[in-house]
Amino acid sequence: MEFATLFVLLLIAFSILLIAVVVSRPQVTVSPVGKIVAFLALFAFPLLSIGMGFSTQMDRSKSTQFCLSCHIMEPYGKSLRVDDTVHLAAAHYQNHRVPADEACYTCHTNYAMFGTIKAKVGGLRHIYVYYLGHPPKPADIKLYEPFNNRECLHCHAGARSFEEGAVHTADPSLLPDIKSNKVSCLSSGCHQTVHDVATLGEQKFWKGGN
Amino acid sequence: MLSSNATERRLQVAGIIIILGLLVEALSLLGHGAIAFLVFVGIGGTLLVLGVAAYLLALVHTGAHEK
Repeated sequence: MEFATLFVLLLIAFSILLIAVVVSRPQVTVSPVGKIVAFLALFAFPLLSIGMGFSTQMDRSKSTQFCLSCHIMEPYGKSLRVDDTVHLAAAHYQNHRVPADEACYTCHTNYAMFGTIKAKVGGLRHIYVYYLGHPPKPADIKLYEPFNNRECLHCHAGARSFEEGAVHTADPSLLPDIKSNKVSCLSSGCHQTVHDVATLGEQKFWKGGN
Repeated sequence: MLSSNATERRLQVAGIIIILGLLVEALSLLGHGAIAFLVFVGIGGTLLVLGVAAYLLALVHTGAHEK
């Protein structure tokens, strides 16, 4: 168990103990010390607990394990282990170009202001569709909007392999077009194979990294 | 057993609601995945907010009676 979770659980346990004192002996709140105890037990500690707990839950919701906890996402998790460097997500995951424990979040959050909040609101919508709506088949899942190069350039801009790569520099207009999002990194003939969940049955899988 | 004094009874009710909220939050922290997150925010968060609001209302009522 992570330290943060343990700390929040201890805080919750302490809060419950304190509240139990106030509930079982409410007459203690007549004295000034009792009023302070009641304030801490019924206001300060619960708010602190929910704040710290929320922060822990938000951190967890960035994890690859969290994203793959919905069965519909399992093929996407499996696609991270395809043994083929052409598969963009797999190559990033297996070579730690993205943190393996936050692989989904790293690419699928936008790096603009409120990107995390937008990703979480989108996540709530996914949960709604998954449990109360009509979830599509995994292969039919599409992004809400075209993938923005900004998310790739967050790491790759300035990197030698990107800036001086033979294909990227073959046409002098290509790099500026990529950087201004006029040409998508995922264009056909470039890095178009990302999560090819439709062909998973034909793929070999990397067994390392566990 | 709830107290016969109105203010104390309100504090007890607030405390019980907050304890329920905290228990839900603790359980959801032990779980992983989307459901745990939803339970934490949806049920635990709502109970805690209600409990804290009940405590604040109890204070307001007490203040009004003292005047």
